[in-house]
Amino acid sequence: MNRMEEILARVGEIQPLPGTILHLIDVINDPRSSINEIVETIRYDQALTTRMLRICNSAYFGLSREVCSLEEAMRLLGTVKVLQILMAVHTGALLRRGQEGYGLEPGVLWKQSVATALASTLFAERTKPDNTSLTFTAALLHDIGKVVLNSHVTAEFVEIVRRVNEEGASFIEAEQQVLGFSSTEIGALLAEAWKLPETIIRCIRYHRTPGELDPPDVVVDTVYLATCVCMLCGVGLGSDGLCYRADSRVMERYRLKESDLEVIGAQMLVDLKRVESIYTEDMAQPVLVNN
Amino acid sequence: MDTVVDIADMRVSRDPQVDLVTYSLGSCIGVAIWDPEVRVGGLLHYMLPQSSISPEKARTNPAMFADTGIPYLFRSAYELGAVKKRLIVKVAGGSSLLDDNGTFNIGKRNYIILRKIFWKNGILIDAEDVGGSISRTVRLEVGTGRVTVKNRGKEIEL
Repeated sequence: MNRMEEILARVGEIQPLPGTILHLIDVINDPRSSINEIVETIRYDQALTTRMLRICNSAYFGLSREVCSLEEAMRLLGTVKVLQILMAVHTGALLRRGQEGYGLEPGVLWKQSVATALASTLFAERTKPDNTSLTFTAALLHDIGKVVLNSHVTAEFVEIVRRVNEEGASFIEAEQQVLGFSSTEIGALLAEAWKLPETIIRCIRYHRTPGELDPPDVVVDTVYLATCVCMLCGVGLGSDGLCYRADSRVMERYRLKESDLEVIGAQMLVDLKRVESIYTEDMAQPVLVNN
Repeated sequence: MDTVVDIADMRVSRDPQVDLVTYSLGSCIGVAIWDPEVRVGGLLHYMLPQSSISPEKARTNPAMFADTGIPYLFRSAYELGAVKKRLIVKVAGGSSLLDDNGTFNIGKRNYIILRKIFWKNGILIDAEDVGGSISRTVRLEVGTGRVTVKNRGKEIEL
């Protein structure tokens, strides 16, 4: 068994996304899905339904009266918004643990993932991907490879960092050189094992190196830009710091200027604080139904 | 006792037991000021150079931008008794992505505007650690004025 197979064999130890969320990602991926289908997906998961209503009634949305059903929530707030916030909160269990190998304290990877997802929505207004919700989900899951690789990079970390510092390698290149594969590759394989949509898998694989795709992929580009803004703003930086390559062609493709990055960075931070407050509020509530 | 300074945040203190700490500076810049006579310290973590991109956000949170955050930091320290000519000023952050030929240059722009504001106001930088592609954690010990910068477990004193 080579090293990658060894690590992949342990992928089962990674706490998967809840089944309802996986199903929901499929429904979001299908442009023909209706509100009814989305509601049907969620309805039978009581914990998720409870959580969703709680989120919709949270201060974040500022509704003047309490909503009591999923249909009503989506009608009042819009499907996309509700699903995005739900996804962000619901991936907490997967992404909130500390990733010591990458120098990330508990909660930091989740924060960075949510920030990237929020920034991707802001960039999507300029890059115009077909499916904004799918782009959001792809952005949210872009770094799951770190969850898998975390415990394995500790031993080789010194060498990875040495190559980054002394040889000018990017973090992805150094991972490839030292381990034989990168966190993006492992993340893509995990997403394949979970049978996530092709767009999300592609995004996880190429979000650090969008130039490898010819023709370019608008979702990958969008998530790439979102990760750049989050790194620049210092959201969720670990030991890898900003050691990833800048690709100005992505900016040129969508006629984006530096000032666009700044506007998006500033808005992302404001949105992030609001989502964090929802999460804190949500966690403070007793769990009503176990799933 | 650690007081955490968030992204786009500013804190001042005259409690000698307090350490002002800001984590993971990327392109953002951390400015630490300290008055040795009254032992007042302040730490700013600003994210972007100019408030003109969103005056409304600057009103809600002046610490987000260099041009509103730096005056806010100094004014807040003066309110606790610090005096401009005594202040020791240390700066860290301003990283960039690899191979950046100017496209994503927020880090450099953040630093240039800081120099400009300091120059206009006759403020000298006593020590700095800026640039590169690393993430930095900055700590200011209010009791002693000691400033450290940490990256990947390694700590240097500024």
